[in-house]
Amino acid sequence: MSGQSTAAIRREGLWSKAVYKFSRDRAGLVSLAIVSIYTIVALGAWGGLWATEWADVTGGKWMPVSSEHWFGTNIIGQDIFQRALFSTRTTFEVGFVVALLATAVGALLGAVAGFFSGSWIDEIALWMMGVLDSIPFYLFVAAIAFALQDNPYAMHVAMIATFWTTVARLVRGEVIKLKSLEYVEAAHAIGVPEIVIIFRHILPNTFHILLVQGTITFVAAIKSEVILSFLGLGVKEGMSWGLMISESTMEVMAGFFNNFLAASAFLFVLVMAFNMFSDALQDALDPKKV
Amino acid sequence: MRSILVVIMAVAIGACGGEGQQATQAAASTTGLKVYRHAMDQAPSTLDPVQASNVYANHVVVNAYDTLFSYKYLARPYALKPNLAVEMPEISDDELTYTIRIKQGVRFIDDPAFPDGKGRELIAEDFIYSIKRQFDPSQLPVGTWFWIERIVGLDAWKEAGSDYSIEVEGFRALDDYTIRIQLKRPYPQLLDTLTTGYSAIVPREAVEYYGKEFASHPVGSGPFKVIEYDTAKILFERNEHYRQEPVDIWYEGYDPETQAYTGVEVIHGRSPPFIDRLEIDFIGEDAARWSSFTKGNEVQYTVLPNEQVDQVLASKNPVTFKPEYAEKYHGYDVVEFGFVFNAFNMDHAEFGYREDPVENHRNKLLRCALIKAWDWPARSESFYFGLAKIYPGIIPPAVPEFDPDMSRDSVTRDVVEARRLLKEGGWTAENLPVFIFGGAAGIKNRLFFEQARSWFKEVGYPMEKMKLKQFATFGDLSKAWRNSELMYVSKGWGLDYPDAENTLQLFYGPNKTPGSNDANYLNPEYDALYEKSSVMRSSPERTRIYREMNQMIVDDCVAHTGLSRTRIFMWHKDVIALPDRQIVGGFFLKYVDLKTEDTIVEQIN
Amino acid sequence: METLQYIIRKLITGIPLLLGVTFISFMLMVYFGPDKTYELLGKNATQEQIDEIRHQLGYDQPFFIRYADYLKELVTLDFGHSDSTGEPVSGLLGRTMPISLALIIPGFVLGNLIAIILALTAAYHRGSWVDRLIMGFSVVGMSISFLIVIIAFQILLSSSYGLNLFPVRGWNMSTFGNYLSYVTVPTLATVFVSLGYNTRFYRAVIVEEMTRDHVRTARAFGVPPARLFYKNILKNCMIPIITRVIFSIPLVVISGSLLIESYFGIPGVGKVTFDAITTGDQPVLKAVVGMTAVLFVMAQLVTDILYRAVDPRVTLK
Repeated sequence: MSGQSTAAIRREGLWSKAVYKFSRDRAGLVSLAIVSIYTIVALGAWGGLWATEWADVTGGKWMPVSSEHWFGTNIIGQDIFQRALFSTRTTFEVGFVVALLATAVGALLGAVAGFFSGSWIDEIALWMMGVLDSIPFYLFVAAIAFALQDNPYAMHVAMIATFWTTVARLVRGEVIKLKSLEYVEAAHAIGVPEIVIIFRHILPNTFHILLVQGTITFVAAIKSEVILSFLGLGVKEGMSWGLMISESTMEVMAGFFNNFLAASAFLFVLVMAFNMFSDALQDALDPKKV
Repeated sequence: MRSILVVIMAVAIGACGGEGQQATQAAASTTGLKVYRHAMDQAPSTLDPVQASNVYANHVVVNAYDTLFSYKYLARPYALKPNLAVEMPEISDDELTYTIRIKQGVRFIDDPAFPDGKGRELIAEDFIYSIKRQFDPSQLPVGTWFWIERIVGLDAWKEAGSDYSIEVEGFRALDDYTIRIQLKRPYPQLLDTLTTGYSAIVPREAVEYYGKEFASHPVGSGPFKVIEYDTAKILFERNEHYRQEPVDIWYEGYDPETQAYTGVEVIHGRSPPFIDRLEIDFIGEDAARWSSFTKGNEVQYTVLPNEQVDQVLASKNPVTFKPEYAEKYHGYDVVEFGFVFNAFNMDHAEFGYREDPVENHRNKLLRCALIKAWDWPARSESFYFGLAKIYPGIIPPAVPEFDPDMSRDSVTRDVVEARRLLKEGGWTAENLPVFIFGGAAGIKNRLFFEQARSWFKEVGYPMEKMKLKQFATFGDLSKAWRNSELMYVSKGWGLDYPDAENTLQLFYGPNKTPGSNDANYLNPEYDALYEKSSVMRSSPERTRIYREMNQMIVDDCVAHTGLSRTRIFMWHKDVIALPDRQIVGGFFLKYVDLKTEDTIVEQIN
Repeated sequence: METLQYIIRKLITGIPLLLGVTFISFMLMVYFGPDKTYELLGKNATQEQIDEIRHQLGYDQPFFIRYADYLKELVTLDFGHSDSTGEPVSGLLGRTMPISLALIIPGFVLGNLIAIILALTAAYHRGSWVDRLIMGFSVVGMSISFLIVIIAFQILLSSSYGLNLFPVRGWNMSTFGNYLSYVTVPTLATVFVSLGYNTRFYRAVIVEEMTRDHVRTARAFGVPPARLFYKNILKNCMIPIITRVIFSIPLVVISGSLLIESYFGIPGVGKVTFDAITTGDQPVLKAVVGMTAVLFVMAQLVTDILYRAVDPRVTLK
């Protein structure tokens, strides 16, 4: 009983300290602000508030930057600024879906494997992770893309199938550490069911790992989306920065860089902000750092 | 003046050949060999003639192997000439019997496949064997359709199990140097088919010795022999036993007015090949190929990539280079021997044939409306820098049967008319079918789709009813074509020979899927005309029939068609050649020569 | 002796992993994978030709027979002939693998070495401007598309628009000088791209090690920073570092560097694999995937053994 409450106290302490530490981290706050702006852009594009003409031909070929076309137009005369904005929505959609599901799957399987470490359940989980990690990522995605024909979620499935293993390994390691702690052993001793122990006592204590890992997976998903879309294995409908960069390969040799610059800049700032945010989060959640 | 220059060059080259060690160009300076580095935008899928289905494979195959006929190096329009054949064939009056004599003393290259490793003489039976392979399913032949149901006894031979020891009545060697072909009905394009890689002559020993590996291990009698081959490049060496046949450039169709700049006069009277080594780099990415080309000491030839058009060209019509490029490179621009078209699949109820005549008519109105909504000039401007030729129908400008006076209505955008047609057919945003735009994976196809979507949107086609379906591999896309899975087929077609028959067969009823009539167009009148013209030699009457068929395609609103890209071939000035890769395929490579430093100096003086 | 037993045991436990990898990849890439039939067909094909090709490619066999054949191929290391070029797959891999290795190794080694040095520097100056600068650069490196890096480097270093110092095409390893001139630009691109990721990873590892209690204790006791760094931190960091390096080897060897190889026209295994994907050349795909799995199992084994070499506390149990 007492063990459980100390854990709860420690948990609370960790979070309130983290919020305090984060609020004093200038880089972290700036990055959070940037990520928030992107989120608003993405939501607006999703709700039809802006970037509504991303698919329309509104100008000539490769028009330069002007007040009408902020980033110029692409090869068929579409507005690059609107397309870049609209792509934000795609990026967040992919990032969120993949980060959320990959983290959830990883947490669940990792926790179960860790809790039953040494047993056959653990063996199977490890085997699955080993199998998935041994297939080269792009081969795997290509294979899934083929197998699912032109399903728009082929890319998501492939990324989740690949990314969860990292989360699972981390959570498994943490759980192995946690379960030997006295409060867990105490819970065991008084006969709390295993499932309750996992979900009520162990998983919440890995939440800081999940949060950080979630942001990392988010970034990985965004970056992979760009490359996969570039390779033609990614986004099927709509627009994405990867597709814009892919468009730009037809353009850079002709000396037109708008698509490339717009997509790279949007991607670069977001990834950078997310990485900084992730770092700040990690620092804030680091119990050893004062 | 010209003849003096020729003499000087000949002397210089002779001197070079005599001393043998003179540096010819940067790439060769270390070895003293004449090396020409060619570039292609794709690797050949195979080097086995039986599967040489595209221009890339043909490039390689016709240089490693011999064909009976080829096209004259410089003559435009293209003209046939004998290659391994001694002369043009003897054709019976009923046009059913061809007698072809082949040259004596031609040898295959030395190879372990032959007993004692020495290449033996090529005889008429080798040609018979090579074409029979196209009728042997175990060889996975690809070129069969050229000769299927054309030659007496050959189809029956295949039915009976493709046993090479059985002689085919209409297709045999009379002796070692004479071939007799008997046709079921006249086939005016027969000799054209005997220039293609499919008809290249292979020795049976090598096919059997190498098995599947034969596809990467050519054993031929062509001007070059392959010494190295992988996914990035192929390296040829001069076949030192290649037959001595001095070039007569006047016979080859040399036109000093338009071709003097190429410098090909220097090859007159000499026997090809003139280079010691031929390297062909396969460079898929335009950017990489262009930077290799402009480096100076790498590849010496490229097709001008679209992205470079504005950089390089001073004017588009006519094509001229900016001075800094004109100084370094030669160029030759030509309308491609092929075209791009997008056909509605008439087997799909959404846009195609319907049982009910009223519905059928509505669908036709819908197709016609979408044809009026299409904007070819915008496509050309966006993707081909305005250099493409746009014309109605399916007879491209490259062939002699092209009709420049045909009405351009079907390739002129008219939004008002498109809306009117939709209205007449009772089409509204609610009842229009979902339009699935199928194509290969790739950003270009996606942009084609987005562009078409915006055009259609302007005539009232709802954006959300336009869908893109991409296929990750070309194989999967072809599968969808063959199985008639797509309601709308976007295709490029490269001509196999300079005769409109090759494009008209794309809409011939019996060629429907899995054949090449992906549109599944079925028009008995059209088919009757096709059958009638297919046994006719080129004549004004045949041209009239071709054009009549062409008009049917336009009137039935079957396809968005057509566009032929302009290709601009560029090569370094130290290369002496007219490197036109169309139709003639890779045949020109044996005529390529390189300037020595001496001749360059002479020319400048 | 003990080690040998361990290796054998470990190899045996690797079998389920191999089976898993081969089964999943077989199912995805071969059974549901692209269909080569239509690539091999002529312009006007008949149903009969289609059937013949399917038969020759073995597509008409049932799933488990095909899978069993695949396992047999894997055991005998005989993958038959490429469906595209007819070349034996073993010859194809034997020819392309050394090229990929020669291409990748310099970038791989440099990318890791420089990253470790940078990471150490950053971690040592944790929180200072040096740290921020290095980490800033690594984030920049991580946020730029690999493809654009390749194109940019090619234009800057190997074309007449830029410095025109290095060749673009025609990969040639006949002399060391040739090799150097061809490998430089790809190496620079690889290093540029991998540096960001590697530095971040290694810094994180090192920082984590630095904040461990025993290090803090040692520091409190006044152990000199240099010694502390070397003895207490770097050594303990070796495990994650080795793991990362070794586990990237199978992927590096097999997948090569797809983009680099196709952009520089280098006939390595990455290009061959990519072509196999886009054309559905299953014998090649099967070989590549199978070999990756084998290498992965080996990598695990090697890491386990190295763990012990680095850290005597880890026993091979």
